[in-house]
Amino acid sequence: MPELVHPGLALDPAAMSAREAMEPVGLRRIAVLGGIYSNHRALAAALADAHAAEAEAIYCLGDVGGFGPHPDRVFPLLSGAGVRVVQGNYDEAIGTGRDDCGCGYADPRDNFFAQISYDYTHRNTAPEHRAFLAGLPAYRRLKLGSFAVHLCHGSPRRVNEFLWETATPDALLERLCDRYACDALLVTHTGIKWQRRLPSGRLAVNVGAVGRPENDGTKRVWYALLAAGRAEISVEFRPVEYDWSALASEMEEEGLPAEFVTTIRTGWWTTCLEVLPAKERARGRF
Amino acid sequence: MAQVLQFRGGPAPAVPDAQAIPVAQAMPDAQAVPAVPAVPEAPFGELHDLWFQVTGLRCNLACTHCLVNSGPDNLSLASLTVAEVEAALAAAVVLGVKAVYFTGGEPFLHRDLMVMLAAALAVAPATVLTNGTLIDEAVADRLAALAAASRYSLEIRLSLDDVDAARNDAIRGPGVLERVARAAVLLDRRGLIPILTATEAMELAPGKAPAPAQRAVPPLLYTRFRDFLLGLGITRPRVKIMPLFKIGRLAGSASHPVLTPEMLAGFDRALLQCHTARVVAAGGIYACPILAGDPAARVAGRLADALRPVPLGHPACHTCYVTGMSCANA
Repeated sequence: MPELVHPGLALDPAAMSAREAMEPVGLRRIAVLGGIYSNHRALAAALADAHAAEAEAIYCLGDVGGFGPHPDRVFPLLSGAGVRVVQGNYDEAIGTGRDDCGCGYADPRDNFFAQISYDYTHRNTAPEHRAFLAGLPAYRRLKLGSFAVHLCHGSPRRVNEFLWETATPDALLERLCDRYACDALLVTHTGIKWQRRLPSGRLAVNVGAVGRPENDGTKRVWYALLAAGRAEISVEFRPVEYDWSALASEMEEEGLPAEFVTTIRTGWWTTCLEVLPAKERARGRF
Repeated sequence: MAQVLQFRGGPAPAVPDAQAIPVAQAMPDAQAVPAVPAVPEAPFGELHDLWFQVTGLRCNLACTHCLVNSGPDNLSLASLTVAEVEAALAAAVVLGVKAVYFTGGEPFLHRDLMVMLAAALAVAPATVLTNGTLIDEAVADRLAALAAASRYSLEIRLSLDDVDAARNDAIRGPGVLERVARAAVLLDRRGLIPILTATEAMELAPGKAPAPAQRAVPPLLYTRFRDFLLGLGITRPRVKIMPLFKIGRLAGSASHPVLTPEMLAGFDRALLQCHTARVVAAGGIYACPILAGDPAARVAGRLADALRPVPLGHPACHTCYVTGMSCANA
């Protein structure tokens, strides 16, 4: 599986500063959403919750499409709420017309379902939305209070790298924070949230995903609300309830695999399971 | 190490193997003899995976297709000590290692494997590649305790070749399928969902994922292993299929292609496992788990010195190139 590497890894401090200058200044409270996967109903609910929580800006860490129905429906929601999006591997693939999603699966069953999802999403994404996806930045940098925050999709070094809670060593996260000169590193791609305060005091957060429940047997999805304090950034994972039954019906009407619909209806993952580390896999049903 | 195949790009072998000499070299007309192509290299990126060949090539089985010729009588590569493992782990942590793997030979033959695993799991996720025949209730209990004590995942990969006892055991030895099936259940009942690993002949476009047509239906072998696990009552089946390497006991007498710079033109060498992995085995640091112990594949004496390009001169390198395979879990 080809690796998708961020162009021009941001080792140049000047480049990183330039990125920070492109984001709003004076931020102290932001909402950060993970993969949307075409779940327009969960996205709408998450955006409403972020506004209610008085988020000053809303970010999405990429993978706008995939898995769910009617991929074009998420774009008006994103633009309407002023969501600032980072490019995920799915976005890069759809935007540039790749043959597959570049999710990084090695397992044949995972690739089988991933291809169905990708072909459907590619076929149903309007050209103007593909162009939007192709033009997204590979990462964003901002100041939250006095803290430097690096936002990306998989990891800062590779767009489709999985950073699972039980498979990502402290020392690796410290190294990434050093290299990318940040106090907080925010990622998604895995679909399951976690946060960790590193020995150095810095913060690593996987914000989870808005588009798919996190394999815990509940239908809700999650996003992260980050607030800058005087000494550190606090993280609140916020659950999002939404009309999953309506989404499941749309998926069935669109002819998406029953396995996908089951995930929405039950909260258990049925596909893309082989990339899960042992501990995460043991928490699920399948 | 009783490798039949030669590694181009490393030290010259003491006794040249006729199979490794290009036919053109034996031709009398000097003008007709092309220059021996330069051996391409894999650049080193950064350390993701650190492998330990803990028992050298000593194994309680002697599988007919073993790509490193492991067996009960193969003592050609010494085992590692706990101190050696701990020293390499300390060096790897500084480098930001992401995952640690234990292989052999058969890792569970090492009396200190549990100590080594505990050291690894203190700093990173760890995986053991095993034939599974030495995992009993007591071993499974100890593994479960190690996993419970760590924030990181412990993965156990069980090797099999077929879900049919006769076919599997013809390769691996009498009674092996039954013993591995028991090990899988013992592990699963303790929350250590094993990964069943099998080999299959495959050839894909270099550097490419399987073409969509190849993804249309999950391969038969994969499905058979998945169904096998489900049949054992393992409701979360995990299967990894790896390509068959025609090396080790399968080397035979056929010629084996090696990589040339022309083949690698336009190929992203960062896709190769040796771009981000190193192997600790007796005698030093090696480029690849299946070449550990091969003097030509030795990169350095210590990890800090092994972060440099390595030659892609072994036929195994060609297999990685054409299959896109990785020994890593995912």
